[in-house]
Amino acid sequence: MKKSVAVFLLIMAMTMTVVVFQARAQEDPFSDEGIDEQEQIEVADPLEPWNRLMFQFNDRLYFWVLKPVAKGYSFVFPQDARVAIRNFFHNLFTPIRLVNDVLQGKLDRAAKEFARFCVNTTAGVFGFNDVAARELNLKVPDEDFGQTLGHYGMGHGFYIVWPVLGPSSLRDTFGLIGDLMLDPLSYINAEQSLMMRSVYTINTTSLKIGEYEDLKKGALDPYISVQDAYLQYRLEQTRK
Amino acid sequence: MKNIARLCVLIAAMLILVNPALASGPLETLKDAVDDVIEILKKPELKGPEHEEERKRAIREAVSRVFDFREMAKRSLSRYWRKLDDKQREEFVELYRGLLERTYLKRIEAYQNERIVYKGERIRDRYALVKTIVITDKQVEIPVDYKLIKREKGWMVYDVVIEGVSLVNNYRKQFKSIIRRSSYDGLVKMLRQKQN
Repeated sequence: MKKSVAVFLLIMAMTMTVVVFQARAQEDPFSDEGIDEQEQIEVADPLEPWNRLMFQFNDRLYFWVLKPVAKGYSFVFPQDARVAIRNFFHNLFTPIRLVNDVLQGKLDRAAKEFARFCVNTTAGVFGFNDVAARELNLKVPDEDFGQTLGHYGMGHGFYIVWPVLGPSSLRDTFGLIGDLMLDPLSYINAEQSLMMRSVYTINTTSLKIGEYEDLKKGALDPYISVQDAYLQYRLEQTRK
Repeated sequence: MKNIARLCVLIAAMLILVNPALASGPLETLKDAVDDVIEILKKPELKGPEHEEERKRAIREAVSRVFDFREMAKRSLSRYWRKLDDKQREEFVELYRGLLERTYLKRIEAYQNERIVYKGERIRDRYALVKTIVITDKQVEIPVDYKLIKREKGWMVYDVVIEGVSLVNNYRKQFKSIIRRSSYDGLVKMLRQKQN
């Protein structure tokens, strides 16, 4: 009994810090935003021939395998169910975000992640329901080990396209390996892990059908477009 | 006496029209344009595939009132823009506008299932940044920022930044890479091929 009261108080205290943090952030919502020309991100691409080949491979993999499978999957599971499954995985991967918050000294965010995990695992039934975001307005930007390395000034090194995994860089590949250590799916048996990861990939793809198609339609050189989008997006994430 | 009063009203009206501070700000301009588009999508006489052409024309019209395609094209070409003569520039702006329209007009039609939250605006001289969040029907929140520049007729968008990815920067990278590999004429040829 005493224990549950203590846990309750802890969550309350964390929610309070969150409220204070938000109030402070609202004073200057656009603190250091560049309005004019954004700086260009130049990252070396010495592996370009290999990368373009892998890009082709992933393109085919998407159109020939992933997309048809994801479409069939969407037919069986309605969108609400797929959103719930996405929420479940997001909740499951909390350790990755939480530890990287701490590594970057963003303790307020770590507290928020922890509060989200407590609320969503219990009230949100194993994370399927993101009640923390909906009812408590508890939202935190995602962190990962690649961002942590970037936070401490490590550059991308060079750009790499991995088969299946897609666009990355030397830095973000180290990041992926780091995140794998914190990923609960690395600690269950290999067979189950593979199954869970497949579900995760198909579910994620099913919620993003059309995005890659749009990008390709608007691009003159889809390889360069994806590369630049990846680098701009990662820069923005590291800044947050 | 009556004439003087009339003159005063006239002068006041002119001041209001001329004074840019009294014209609508960047956020308001953008919101009006987005509302116009949503209005078009809601019109029953423009709904359905049989009215696609009319609907597209109406959206195109509403979008071009607030999008400065020339400025976008210029920034996307950056230093290569300077080497072009007026005729080449005109041609390039039209090709670029066509590419954006073909890509994004369909995308705009999805706006009906999305909610847009206007977070605020920031103005620095003749530049402005309007921050918005698009909330999709999949419970995803996408930050979309618009960069605007002040023109005689009001604020005009010259870049859209989706989740930190600037559209103009993305095209600049592609154009630069294509021109380096082939030439400016090669780029124009690719834009033309994309048209069909």
